[in-house]
Amino acid sequence: MLLLLLPAAAPADLCGTGSPGLGSSPPVLLLPQPGPEEFGAPGVASARSAAEEAAGPGEAEEDGAEHHHHHGGGFRVVQWEWNYVQTPYIIAIWLLVASVAKILFHFSQRFTTVVPESCMLILLGLVLGGIVLIANKKQLYQLDPALFFLFLLPTIVGDAGYFMPARLFFDNLGAILTYAVVGTLWNAFCTGFCLYAAKLLGIIGHHVQADLMDFLLFGALISAVDPVAVLAVFEEVHVNETLFIIVFGESLLNDAVTVVLYKVYISFVEVGGANVLTADYFKGVASFLIVSIGGTLVGLVFAVILGFVTRFTKKVRIIEPLFVFLLVYLAYLTAELFSLSAILSMTFCGIGANKYVEANISQKSRTTIKYTMKNLASIAETIIFIFLGISAVDKSKWAWDTGLVSCTLVFIFVFRAMGVVGQTWVLNRFRLVPLDKIDQVVMSYGGLRGAVAFALVVLLDGEQVKAKDYFVATTIVVVFFTVMFQGLTIKPLVKWLKVPRATNRKPTINEEIHERAFDHILTAVEDIAGLQGYHHWRDKWEQFDRNYLSKLLLRKSVYRKSELWEAYQKINIRDAISVIDQVGPSKKSIYLSIYISKKNFHLTLFATVLLVCSRRENGSGVCLDLQVIDNVPGSKVVEDMETHHVLAGNLYKPRKRSHYSRHFMPLGEKERQDREVFQRNMRIRMETYKSSRHKRHKKERSMKKVRQIHMSVVTKKNFQAALDVCQSPSAAPSSPPTEDSHLPWKGGVGLPPPCVSVEATKIIPVDLQQAWNQSISSLESVSSPPASTEPVHPRVSALSRLGGPRPASYTAPSTTVSSTTSIGAPAPQSSFCFPEKKKKKMQEEEEEEEEPGASQEMQPLMLPVRPPGLLPPPSPPLPPPGPGRRRNPCVYLRSLVAAPPPASGDLHSRRPTQL
Amino acid sequence: MGNKQTIFTAQQLFYRYRDLAPQLVPLDYTNHPDVKLPYELIGSMPELKDNPFRQRIAEVFSEDGQGNMTLDDFLDMFSVLSEMAPRDLKAYYAFKIYDFNNDDFLCKSDLEKTLNKLTRNELTEEEVRMVCEKVIDEADLDNDGRLSLEDFQHMIVRAPDFLSTFHIRI
Repeated sequence: MLLLLLPAAAPADLCGTGSPGLGSSPPVLLLPQPGPEEFGAPGVASARSAAEEAAGPGEAEEDGAEHHHHHGGGFRVVQWEWNYVQTPYIIAIWLLVASVAKILFHFSQRFTTVVPESCMLILLGLVLGGIVLIANKKQLYQLDPALFFLFLLPTIVGDAGYFMPARLFFDNLGAILTYAVVGTLWNAFCTGFCLYAAKLLGIIGHHVQADLMDFLLFGALISAVDPVAVLAVFEEVHVNETLFIIVFGESLLNDAVTVVLYKVYISFVEVGGANVLTADYFKGVASFLIVSIGGTLVGLVFAVILGFVTRFTKKVRIIEPLFVFLLVYLAYLTAELFSLSAILSMTFCGIGANKYVEANISQKSRTTIKYTMKNLASIAETIIFIFLGISAVDKSKWAWDTGLVSCTLVFIFVFRAMGVVGQTWVLNRFRLVPLDKIDQVVMSYGGLRGAVAFALVVLLDGEQVKAKDYFVATTIVVVFFTVMFQGLTIKPLVKWLKVPRATNRKPTINEEIHERAFDHILTAVEDIAGLQGYHHWRDKWEQFDRNYLSKLLLRKSVYRKSELWEAYQKINIRDAISVIDQVGPSKKSIYLSIYISKKNFHLTLFATVLLVCSRRENGSGVCLDLQVIDNVPGSKVVEDMETHHVLAGNLYKPRKRSHYSRHFMPLGEKERQDREVFQRNMRIRMETYKSSRHKRHKKERSMKKVRQIHMSVVTKKNFQAALDVCQSPSAAPSSPPTEDSHLPWKGGVGLPPPCVSVEATKIIPVDLQQAWNQSISSLESVSSPPASTEPVHPRVSALSRLGGPRPASYTAPSTTVSSTTSIGAPAPQSSFCFPEKKKKKMQEEEEEEEEPGASQEMQPLMLPVRPPGLLPPPSPPLPPPGPGRRRNPCVYLRSLVAAPPPASGDLHSRRPTQL
Repeated sequence: MGNKQTIFTAQQLFYRYRDLAPQLVPLDYTNHPDVKLPYELIGSMPELKDNPFRQRIAEVFSEDGQGNMTLDDFLDMFSVLSEMAPRDLKAYYAFKIYDFNNDDFLCKSDLEKTLNKLTRNELTEEEVRMVCEKVIDEADLDNDGRLSLEDFQHMIVRAPDFLSTFHIRI
């Protein structure tokens, strides 16, 4: 089947694009198999005949398991049970086609950076549709509204809501609501009226039988910005977060407006425009309030339920993800049940529950949820776009009217732009960070229409709305135009306009702390001024959350933990991981999972410290930037995507304000890391942290806490070695950890480790070697023999002169436990193997845990201490601030003060505390 | 990213100032420029009851360092937090607020205080210590174990939208 599908996708690629990018596609694309031939296969051939009964996979899904008839006759050895498996089979095939198509698109990196995936999928859909049409003379498949609204849309919205950056969203809620409500209304009415005017003027042909109500209805459904399309296009563009959240938030929240307008107009059309009473308009307004607020409330109720339920899942971890999916989906269905705004409901359910659920559930569940949601959403989106393409190839639906199409295109574009400019002008009077012209251009241009509009227009009743076919055709054109043309050009536009891009930098712990502090300070100042501003309400909300909600929805063990503390932990872990990422070459798969229990937290810290990384030094800054510029998710990463999924999924969910992306987990910095940068980092870090580590280590030992971090690093190629990368600073050479003394290899190391000891960190890379070696050998050609016990590697001094920190030695096999190779003369390393029982906890959760103490090896990441003279300063000190930094704050307000102070000269001379 | 904020004018600020202590502040302020608003009045405001930084803010912005604010102090406070104030100035005042012992450096004790205020003393001593170390590690460029104003400003420069939240609209 796969072989059949490949050629199906292949022509899609080839015809869809004449672009050179595909030239590099794998040869399978070039198989000279004409597409229609795939229907020659017996399975598909009868699929065709059978599928004629079921209009499409969508409806087929409802038809469920019912099977039509069985073949009669006597007993057959092999039975052809097509009807029995037909429905799931077709669905599965479609999924397969979609997924394979995705793989193919991503074969060419250059190509995918230029052409958004959504465009490619639509093109593929067009081609597939054409094939079906040619083979069949009749279009079998189309995007079925029921399928779309009940299954495809919720997966996307649920994912979007659950992973919505909450703070960013609420910070911009005012703007989002304005654009969603006012903007959508404006677009709907203007488009509707203007189309009607165009009709009166004769621009739109006479055969389009529509009156004002029909046009208003059409305007309503065509005016809403579509979340699916916006996501698909914007997440590849990487505009800055504020811009993204505004457009995306708008596309989610305008659902209520669209739903209400649509329903109101439908009813108006049914009774006829003349019979509409004034009261009906008010009913429409009331309906809007009920639909939106009701939808939100339903979502919040389910969020509370979800939070509450996950509080008690400690014994049944395995169903935690199920609860999340079920309740979020139920929020959607319930809202749909009462004909409230389902998208709103689901979005708010996700946003509301996220914080509590994430805190309650286990790490694995988090991973599962994240991965599954992204998976589902991604496939749903793929199907939507493919089906959009397929639906377009349907002669029966096409009723073309050039006037209508061109007018609609022009109007939606013009009114979108006008609406954005007008609203932004108003909003900017209230916004702290105004939206500038460039933002407005992007927002106008980013008003993409998509599958929601299409599904709505297909839902229209052809009896009531005479011009339905024209509307459908127009909608298809509009959707295609916005998704393909605008989607294709928005990237160059953004580049050309120099729109501030999203940066992938992570917040430092400083920022976490200070941001929180600033919130408090601002709240205080607002309170002093007697204002009830934004900060005031946020503060109130946080109090409420702390006092009531958290107690209700969080486990006891969790809610006592400060959020700030959590954030700190997360940052640390992320740091540690990103280092590993940095080290591992991107081509190799490194599975790295970190299991952290609360007790071993300090380990994380160690890992962070030891393994380097964080953006404090210039070096890191540089690589971050590089990565930001060049990180086009999806293009480079396809191969090791899986790796990174695993990797990213195992991290605590960062609190960073990240871009929402459906397909790709936040990857941290990775592939683009320069080795030199890495080297520099290592060195600098090690130097910098040495002192602090000493102290920390001592303390730790005295407390005898169990702190461990397991990093299982697995490469696919071989499993020959398990390495134990364990380092931690040991300050006092004279006091090796007592626990260490029993370790067999301890004796091998003559000196107690002066700077690195292992107690806390336990990293078990299974076959880290491959990856590690690669990165390292690229660092330099340090190939220390695995079993070298030489405390000082002969090359070390030379190498250190070269200026690279050298993770030096790899000992492979588990048998050579005592083979501690150390580089860096004054800094012999020691590894520490944890007693079994300490690991118990980990192992419970970890099925594929490797042999715990099987093999160790130390991995001195550190450069030997170099002569101080050679030491470069960790980072260039900031130039001392000039005297010009002094400012007199009084100036800013004084002039505004109404009452002129007589002693003004005196006051003005006073300066704020001198710097 | 406080994108919502409330607008108020200097005139309103004066009235607000006066409202806080009508008995102390005369309406014709011009004749009594030396009136001070004692800290007790500010600190006892019910809205501020939960705010961990109330005293610190008052102290930093008041000329006498005791939290007793003159009208000028009061206005200064808002001008520093207004969007017109330059970043350096904001950074400076943010720094001052953190610098509890007024030694022009953020040392560990300062950070510990900040952290305890932020977390409402829910962390263990060890945890606090750890965070503080990390904070210093992150931002301490000259390796003196404490953060100078330069360190602080450098940190802010590196994070483009860091202080962008440090605004209220006046």
